[in-house]
Amino acid sequence: MKKLLLTVLAVFMVMSFAVSAGAKTFKMGLDADPVSLDPQVQLSGGMLQLSHWVFDPLVRWTQEMDFEPRLATSWERLDDLTIRFHLRKGVKFHSGNTFTAKDVKWSFDRMRKSVDFKGLLEPFDGCYIVDDYTVDIKTKKAYPLVLNMATYFFAMDSEFYTGTDENGQPKDAILKIGESFALNNASGTGPFIVTKRQHNVVLEMKRFADYWDKNSPGNVTEFILSPIKENATRVAALLSGGVDWISPVPPQDFARIQNDDKVKLVNINGGRIITFQMNPNRVEAFKDVRVRQAIVHAVNNEGIVKQIMKGTATVAAQQGPEGYLGYKETLTPRYDLAKAKALMKEAGYENGFEISMMAPNNRYVNDAKIAEATAQMLGKIGIKVNLKTMPKAQYWNEFDARAADMMMIGWHSDTEDSGNFSEFLTMCPNAETGYGQYNSGYCNPRVDELTIAAQSETDVEKRKAMLQEIEQILYDDAAFVPFHWQNHSYGVKKNVRAQPVINAQNFPYIGDLVIE
Amino acid sequence: MKTKLQQFTESYFLYSFRRDMVAMASFAVLVIFLFIAFAAPWISPMNPYDSVNIDIMNSEIPPMWMDGGSKEFPLGTDNQGRDMLSTMFYGLRTSIIIGLGAVAIQAAIGVVLGLMAGYLGGKTDAILMRLADIQFSFPYLMVAIFMSAIFQVVFGAGSFEQMAIPLLTIIIGLSNWPMFARTIRASVMGEKNKEYVEAARVIGLPQRIIMFRHILPNALTSVMVISTIQVANAVMSEAALSFLGLGMPVTKPSLGSLIRAGQEFFFSGSWWITVLPGLWLVLFVLVINLLGDWLRDVLNPKLYKG
Amino acid sequence: MFAFIIRRILQAVAVMLVISLVVFAIQKQFGDPVRDLVGERVTPEERQQIADKMGLNDPFLVQYGRFVKNAVTKGDLGRSFLYNKPNLEVIVNHAPATIELVLGTALIIIVLSLPLGVYCALKPRSLLSRFTMSFSTLGVSMPVFLTAILLIYLFAVHWRILPSYGRGETVDLFGNGIWMTGFLTIDGLKHLILPCISLSTLMLPLFIRLIRSEMMEVLETEYIKYAWAKGLSPRRVWLVHAFKNTLLPVITVFGVQIGIMFAFTLLTELVFQWPGMGFMFLEAVNRADLSLLIAYLVVVAALFVVVNTVVDILYGFINPTVRIAGTK
Repeated sequence: MKKLLLTVLAVFMVMSFAVSAGAKTFKMGLDADPVSLDPQVQLSGGMLQLSHWVFDPLVRWTQEMDFEPRLATSWERLDDLTIRFHLRKGVKFHSGNTFTAKDVKWSFDRMRKSVDFKGLLEPFDGCYIVDDYTVDIKTKKAYPLVLNMATYFFAMDSEFYTGTDENGQPKDAILKIGESFALNNASGTGPFIVTKRQHNVVLEMKRFADYWDKNSPGNVTEFILSPIKENATRVAALLSGGVDWISPVPPQDFARIQNDDKVKLVNINGGRIITFQMNPNRVEAFKDVRVRQAIVHAVNNEGIVKQIMKGTATVAAQQGPEGYLGYKETLTPRYDLAKAKALMKEAGYENGFEISMMAPNNRYVNDAKIAEATAQMLGKIGIKVNLKTMPKAQYWNEFDARAADMMMIGWHSDTEDSGNFSEFLTMCPNAETGYGQYNSGYCNPRVDELTIAAQSETDVEKRKAMLQEIEQILYDDAAFVPFHWQNHSYGVKKNVRAQPVINAQNFPYIGDLVIE
Repeated sequence: MKTKLQQFTESYFLYSFRRDMVAMASFAVLVIFLFIAFAAPWISPMNPYDSVNIDIMNSEIPPMWMDGGSKEFPLGTDNQGRDMLSTMFYGLRTSIIIGLGAVAIQAAIGVVLGLMAGYLGGKTDAILMRLADIQFSFPYLMVAIFMSAIFQVVFGAGSFEQMAIPLLTIIIGLSNWPMFARTIRASVMGEKNKEYVEAARVIGLPQRIIMFRHILPNALTSVMVISTIQVANAVMSEAALSFLGLGMPVTKPSLGSLIRAGQEFFFSGSWWITVLPGLWLVLFVLVINLLGDWLRDVLNPKLYKG
Repeated sequence: MFAFIIRRILQAVAVMLVISLVVFAIQKQFGDPVRDLVGERVTPEERQQIADKMGLNDPFLVQYGRFVKNAVTKGDLGRSFLYNKPNLEVIVNHAPATIELVLGTALIIIVLSLPLGVYCALKPRSLLSRFTMSFSTLGVSMPVFLTAILLIYLFAVHWRILPSYGRGETVDLFGNGIWMTGFLTIDGLKHLILPCISLSTLMLPLFIRLIRSEMMEVLETEYIKYAWAKGLSPRRVWLVHAFKNTLLPVITVFGVQIGIMFAFTLLTELVFQWPGMGFMFLEAVNRADLSLLIAYLVVVAALFVVVNTVVDILYGFINPTVRIAGTK
């Protein structure tokens, strides 16, 4: 009897030990928390991060920029317009419903109604159910980037979001402003279930017990996300042990995090290019390619990466980073003050001129500081710069109005493909087609022609040649002032194995995160 | 008849000044500060507002007594590669210009309105003091934030850099006039029934003359005391606004914007970008406050307790 | 008295109307709230449609009229774009954080300034008094944000004994989700320490000086001399006769200064990421949440008028010889 009791006790102790050892609470401090629980309400980095925690896409990016099967286990191209996806079986939603093809179609159709995503889905014809675990995705024309886009196809629980909520509003409503069911309720197939959401204060999640991916090494059981807006405070929170993970890490604090024995810094190259655009419609001199060249030569972007970004960005001379199809190795940074001065002289602007410059101060990493440094650098070739920096809420208005002669713009390709940069940043601005939406006025018809041709070219080598030619033209034209591609940086505690779960898209897969 | 100078040298004012070490020391430091601010363009190692002198590769160099410091930059450089010493000199200059200007505006509005309210009384008094009450019931920092947001919006973003100093001066000046108005009104109320005012009235002097020539000089001591304290307040307000990002533009940093910029580098070890301008500002405000305290004790011990 | 209160209310209404009108008039320049709601890929036409739906494209007087009508008829101050909740709810949710910060600070000020102020008045030449006085001048000269940064550096980063940001663990005070308090948990109290200290450095010196000078003044009065002559014990003279009379003006100033303190919570809240009303205000400015901004200004105007009125009335009750301003 006594023996039995002891055994029982021992078993209990082991069990309780196992439970407490297994319970890992993970606290994350980000600059902002997701605006909604609805994965389709806004196309932004923060919302996509959340989508990877609470939902699952058909496929996702790996660190090597390959596609990893998630809800789709395999896929094949049936013809020029169709790709067939085979779906995973035995997957449960948080609500208990079973995941099938109808959820994929339902989510796809809902996404088309979302203002934010509808542009991205423009090339698609539709999603067709073949059977419970097979769907066909069709495009209108031959489209080389279907799989890239499939990383956006997160499955929502169609049954859960069907019907009307207590306000009599359909549960699938996508609302930017006002209460909607999906704003505060979520049912996905992802590794975490949302348990509490207080916008701008805290988002609490716990591990989904029936998560389909039993091979995932992830051991986080409680996941608490707090927004900490101020950079210094966020770093202080990590250093004082208040949180396990912070992002983004301001470059000025890299050294401090690296030198601390309790925390470490994890970095990965990202694809967001930071540029300044010169507006030829506002400044006559910017029509002269020599002046544009002079400006590009006057900007010491290597110095900016070294001093302001503390080495955690990749110096750029073109739009797309290495690994993208259009990347051309021969295009290298070209800081050369003497040459810049010579070019100014050649163009007849030896005495310089005065311009206005605008940049946001809370959009990109160290945006205002980069702008300030640029203003100083242009001063050296006689261009007097009146700089104004402002919060992004005001900046976008000014950008739409092209309110300054030089304006900062950063861009990350949604499709992880070079063409996307040109479509938004360097094609001739055209209000009808929407191309060049973020272009300050540079226009070269050849760039337009090549970009459009590349959109429906499925032959990789031919596409590559086109995209590289675009980069070369932009380089020779000095179409914009390139700075760098931002790295993603994370400050984490030493026991957090961050390296395996991060990627160039800045979607840390916390579901697979291991805490020692 | 004594000359003005003799009058001054034999005054109680100077006597008590000479006996007070703190007052003398503060005054000396203040004179040095004023000199630096005035002479900044000539005594600074470089002009931190001119981009030709600034090289990003020189950023975040520590003060010369630390490892990695250089003689070229005695107090180190900030995150853009500006010499800290020069930037602090220029920043002080900006702070003082804004501080004095703002107080001049406050005093001008406050004195005129306070005189009118106190001397004329009745409806004028009621309306003016109601206005002061309303503005006073809002914390001046909030008023300043609100106004600077409006000003920036109205004047547009592009020209802000050139307009920053006058705009800030006006904003801080406008947001703090009730203090003056109230004090002047109180002293005018005390003076206006005195015999010399009666006399002036009897001989038929116009009201304007009585107010400005007769009453005002007797209320000036309180103006002086308040002015000193208000200069300190104005300098702090400018720093606070700049800290909030509503003050001086990044290319022409004031002490407040330097502290703000440096805050980000505090944790990474570049403490000097925050601490040096911080100490500089505190020291400057401190000497003004010490002098203000002393003035208050000497001139008018019972005045203004807030 | 009644007339006095009515007058104050009218004043408040006028101020609110003017402020909200001004903000409505210039709202376009504050930024476009729609930009913050949508991704960067959304086309200008679609943004316009959203703005249309939200009523942002109407002439500002129309928007203003709608705002006033809703405010008066339904007590509805609009909806925040940023928080996606009714403005009033957002403000009410943020108020406790600020109120607790101010209360904690007020507590520090009362506990420290009373004994120190009285002591400095009684023993003006002692070392402690001189030290206190010079320290208080230094305190007045330190910008709040600088104090806050230094405190964080020392206590949170260097020694790691106190948390650096936020409110920590909060519990629901009334069980209805409105008042989350940090006063009832150890963690919450720890989080209060640094922000309260940094905020108190602003007002503490002022109160020490005020109490000191008031007390000194009272000690000079005839009736204190009379109390001495009666042969009362020093303790009784100081604490009962002198101290009681010192308190009156101190209370009024305290009322006014609490209002000013609310404004300076802005800087403290920014540095400590304290989720209070000041933080919310800055967020609203930065993110162009005009709707919330207007509601906030209206609420603040109302609040200040209420506080000032209450202080004036209280003062009238405590000291009947003082007539309330305006009742002639």
